[in-house]
Amino acid sequence: MSRLFFTRYRSRAARAGALWVLALLPASLAWADDSAFTSKAGLDAQSGAAIYSNICQGCHMPQAQGAVGAGHYPALAGDPKLVSWEYVAITVLRGRNGMPAFALPAEQAEETRAVHLTDAQVAEVVNYVRHHFGNHYKQSVTAEQVAGLPHP
Amino acid sequence: MATDPTGSSVSRRSLLRMIGAVAGSATMYQAMDALGFAADSPYQGPIDLQGAPRGASVLVLGAGVAGMTAAIELRDAGYQVQVLEYNARAGGRNWSLRGGDRYTELGGLTQECRFDKDLYINPGPWRIPYHHRGILSYAKRLNVPLEPFFQVNYNAYLHSSKAFGGKPQRFREVKADYQGHVAELLAKATRQNELDAAVTTEDREKLLESLRHWGALDNNFSYTISDAASVRRGWKKKPGGGLSARPVPSEPTGLQHILSSGLWEGVSSGDDYDMQTSLFQPVGGMGRIGEAWGRELGALIRYNAKVVDIHQDESGVTATYEDTQSPGSPQKATADWCVCTIPLSILAQIPINVGTPLATAISAVPYASAVKVGLQFKRRFWEEDEHIYGGITYTDLPITNIGYPNTGYFGSGKGVLLGAYIWGLNAMEFTSMAPEERIAKALEYGSQIHPQYHTEFDNGMAVAWHRAPFTMGCFGMWSAASRAAHYDDLCRFDNRIVLAGEHASFLGGWQEGGVTSALDAIGRLHQRAVAQGDKA
Repeated sequence: MSRLFFTRYRSRAARAGALWVLALLPASLAWADDSAFTSKAGLDAQSGAAIYSNICQGCHMPQAQGAVGAGHYPALAGDPKLVSWEYVAITVLRGRNGMPAFALPAEQAEETRAVHLTDAQVAEVVNYVRHHFGNHYKQSVTAEQVAGLPHP
Repeated sequence: MATDPTGSSVSRRSLLRMIGAVAGSATMYQAMDALGFAADSPYQGPIDLQGAPRGASVLVLGAGVAGMTAAIELRDAGYQVQVLEYNARAGGRNWSLRGGDRYTELGGLTQECRFDKDLYINPGPWRIPYHHRGILSYAKRLNVPLEPFFQVNYNAYLHSSKAFGGKPQRFREVKADYQGHVAELLAKATRQNELDAAVTTEDREKLLESLRHWGALDNNFSYTISDAASVRRGWKKKPGGGLSARPVPSEPTGLQHILSSGLWEGVSSGDDYDMQTSLFQPVGGMGRIGEAWGRELGALIRYNAKVVDIHQDESGVTATYEDTQSPGSPQKATADWCVCTIPLSILAQIPINVGTPLATAISAVPYASAVKVGLQFKRRFWEEDEHIYGGITYTDLPITNIGYPNTGYFGSGKGVLLGAYIWGLNAMEFTSMAPEERIAKALEYGSQIHPQYHTEFDNGMAVAWHRAPFTMGCFGMWSAASRAAHYDDLCRFDNRIVLAGEHASFLGGWQEGGVTSALDAIGRLHQRAVAQGDKA
């Protein structure tokens, strides 16, 4: 069931349509909470280490060892898929299975309370996981390279 | 305008923007209603499943609210029902943590709950609106007593770390002042004939009178230091008896301060349909419903069962599962039909032979990040010192909410607060912390509102939903776009399998979504089963 890479692009028009709906729909009303005071600020942290420890380790765990319950969070430590920086970056940008996308346009991010990372932040955290936790991929990628990948 | 002279010079544009924020919500609601976002519970009373085929069987995956709704109704209709549940308890996200409970999150960190007797925290749902008639009817059927839940407490706080010197403001005062100032501005515009295009001469006087009434304005249509305003916002010196009886009115806060503080965002916290009085909670914790439901279903539920594969063919559905207490020896459960309520965050990882539309839908819904922290204190200082009995304080600090217990009032023992209820980025950051760190952070932030935290703290529990082994997230986070693309596919039967749960509803995160999606699913299941007839 895992769908590698992206499955479809949304046209600019479709995106604009979604934004129009959003303008009408405050997200909080549809859900079982009242979160008017929830901060909509983005993550300040810029370094890969700080981004990882503030966000990623919530699921992938502090040593990137992953976890197993009724389902599992994949370990990033020693994960051979990390050989492809594009695979890692696209996963962060667009999400995968239950993992949220971290590069939704601001309005869509607000609608689903997703966190928006800049291309520079994505590049930093991709480099961080590929250089740590027993991963030794030498190459580093830049914000410009991340910008060239398909964003949601 | 009272204390703040700049308040009276609010521009027309900001006035209109302000009114739009209030009046616009009706229009907004209609639009949402049309799209089914603010839908009422469609619960129409007990489901009628007559004529179940003899020998027909159903496998229910998950003993949460949706799974147990399906199980109890199908059992009563005569189906052979078996339920597989990952946890060692029934309820799923319907769950309370009480003294003596142990909870191990993903990553292996274990917390021992040290709350006193009768004290608890609901890591998941904690309130039931009066119109969620489905879950309420099951609570009644299961003899679970309910008591009021206070969404709005006029004496709780609205707090901004960036306004009023960080001093929390009473909800009552912010609401009265916001409403009073808006009424005054509207009255001014009306009397200067600026609303003539919208209001007939006949209605003009009625509008003015209604504004005076609604905003607690004085005879000059001013919102100012007055008995009228103090009747709403409270007094500087309260009315009493005897010689010291005479009240002294309080001074309203200026509009400018209210607007710039952002606290007006909290004023409508009880206005949404889902949050309107009356709301309820089970006596003893939300988990009482799941516990009673589990007892009712008894041996139909197989606990500690981790589903690792779901396979359907022409004759039925087989779930392969492992006993979490002795992994490595897969067992199989088979039935004619399957109601699968496993959260999509987990189902997306389980091999299941369904068509592409359903498979794609299962993978299309990320789960909300959310964290709750329960804090036990040595005394109920919020009641004793601040006269806050139940309800919620809202803050712009990362903890977002402080929820006061809606039970056990005036008790002389310890008390448990909901010390944090967090979403979005802040929730991800709290999830990334170890439990004791989450508790320390909740104390650090909460003490800015209640300094008593420093001396009264006893112990705490912190649940981060992405670390919950049985859900890996709080609830399905649909966007308008993903709903349009995948929702119907998610709810449709795929041969012998149908999904149910809050994720298959327009009541995201609400237990009522679980109930109504399950009833909808088993209604369709019943039709299919009846069409196939008795088993040979």
